Amino acid sequence: MARTKAILIDITKCIGCHSCEAACKQLHGFPQDPEPRLSPTAFTIVETHDDRFVRRMCMNCQDPACASACLVGALKKTELGPVTYDSSKCIGCRYCLVACPFNVPRYQWSKLAPLVTKCDMCFARQAQGQPPACVEACPVQASIVGWRDEILEEAQKRILFDSKYVKHIYGSDEVGGTSVFFISDVPFEKLGFTTLQAQPMPVLTANALGDIPTVVMVGGGLLAGLYWITNRRKLVALAEAEEAAAASGKGKDRHHV
Amino acid sequence: MSKFRLPKLTFWRTVVTVIFIAGAYAAYARFFMGFQRSTNLVDSQPWGLWVGLGTLCGVGISAGGFAIAAAVYLLGFERYRPVVRAAVLLSFLGYLSVCTGMMYELGLPWRIWHPIFMWNRRSVLFEVSWCVMLYTTVLALEFSPSLVEKIPFVRLRQFYLKWHHHLLIGLVLVGAVLSSLHQSFLGGLYLLAKGKVDPLWYSPYLPTLFYLSAVPAGLSATIMVVYLCNRSLNARVDPRVLAEMSQIIAPMLYIYALLRGIDVATHGAAPYLFVWREETLLFWFEVSLFVIAPVLLLSRAKVRNNPNALYGTCAMVVMGFMANRLNVSITAFQTSSGFYYVPKWTEFALTLATVTAAGVAFYYAVKYLEILPRSVPAKNWMTLHPANA
Repeated sequence: MARTKAILIDITKCIGCHSCEAACKQLHGFPQDPEPRLSPTAFTIVETHDDRFVRRMCMNCQDPACASACLVGALKKTELGPVTYDSSKCIGCRYCLVACPFNVPRYQWSKLAPLVTKCDMCFARQAQGQPPACVEACPVQASIVGWRDEILEEAQKRILFDSKYVKHIYGSDEVGGTSVFFISDVPFEKLGFTTLQAQPMPVLTANALGDIPTVVMVGGGLLAGLYWITNRRKLVALAEAEEAAAASGKGKDRHHV
Repeated sequence: MSKFRLPKLTFWRTVVTVIFIAGAYAAYARFFMGFQRSTNLVDSQPWGLWVGLGTLCGVGISAGGFAIAAAVYLLGFERYRPVVRAAVLLSFLGYLSVCTGMMYELGLPWRIWHPIFMWNRRSVLFEVSWCVMLYTTVLALEFSPSLVEKIPFVRLRQFYLKWHHHLLIGLVLVGAVLSSLHQSFLGGLYLLAKGKVDPLWYSPYLPTLFYLSAVPAGLSATIMVVYLCNRSLNARVDPRVLAEMSQIIAPMLYIYALLRGIDVATHGAAPYLFVWREETLLFWFEVSLFVIAPVLLLSRAKVRNNPNALYGTCAMVVMGFMANRLNVSITAFQTSSGFYYVPKWTEFALTLATVTAAGVAFYYAVKYLEILPRSVPAKNWMTLHPANA
């Protein structure tokens, strides 16, 4: 895979100023009222856990569950890293909401032509070499952006050289890795982070989908074989009846009547 | 003949009318006020009654068509032939209601054709959508002779039926394979929700479990429908045929129970089996209704050979099956979503109206077409002249 972009969020640095929220809302033209949770008009929000601030946004997974779930391919992992949503393809099945292990996508329940909404790491801006709006707005660099390998290295450096950090980079291997990393001095479970396996989510369905050819070949073959036997039996029974009829001296074509 | 008479106001007509009026209002609410006003769905419970009852139960209960068709046409179980048309019609109407359900279940139903051109082969839902599209077509073709044979034009009728006869075995075979695929993939949809689905229902074997539970449920529904037609629509199907069909259901439920048991024991669900909580209670409700009671009842010849008792037992299987699908799609998400989803009345109304429409269609089909052997022959309502019949 080509080099992809990633965001590092250092929870120890966040001062809870909500500038990222405001910048995000401004960029997308949403009303500026602060919201407590992610919503169709809040792609990132800052949660307060005691005296820590945790920013929530789409993790833009390396192998996203949503993109594998989407039957029309509206959700896509781009070469650059962000997971984008093509609203013109979406049919509104909401399987992405069911699939996302981070419960990120939001649906426009109140609209008559509702779409799925989520952060796409400012794909349009990043494609032009600009940082995501939220990162740019952060006054204390609690969020930084860069190439994923370099950002990961930076995160490793921080947790290695400063003993206050929990020795884990959230997002480094959760569900096969994400494009948003968190480092913290408070255990992640206490900050509302879900504990997830390292296996990418799409693997769970890939195995089942891989069985299709087997089901078609074995199932179809078996049924065809059984039909052949059934049909053959019928023919044999017919021929036998004919013989029996001929032997008993009755009309040859009697069974046709 | 030209005299217009008001239809009689019977009990069932009243019920059906009330359901349709409620359904019409619910449809209005869904399309002109949106999901928020017509459902109780939220982001953490994005699939509710329409998916759980409309789609999952609808597809599952319609599994009888492919099973009976395969038994009769491919495996040579000739004694089930009298019910094959009823089974196919039941499935066909079941799939039509599922497709109708999609129209209000999808957020943007006018794009329902998108999966035909926009492919994602990694998506279980993509495979399901294709299987359902193809299988509904197969069912339409399997059912078509019932209508075509009523066409008053002899040559056209014979031409169609001749070709149909040549293709039938292929259709049934394709139908069986397509059904097996999507019946199991409906369970496969939930594989991706690992961590959200309660351990009592999450399993890597969800596809197999969905398949193994759909077939007995579909057969039970077929038995129920034929029983009702015998009772109220002058159908004359030997009750022994139904009794014999029911003999297959018990072993199927055994196999299902065995796999489910092994699965519960080996996938970390065991600690949840005897905990005092709603999920566990609903789990035992489901298991006793779908597996334990029917297995005990169906193993008794007295039950199998008594049409009323058989009907009741089959009703248990169908309701237990529905409990399973609703548990997987709703109950199992309760804890993880932190939201107690109770469907809005409009959700019930719309699904109920859809199913009722299918029921009404079935009623008239049995009345006017040659679906089941009958004591009184069907009216030749499309035949122009007796000589053409």
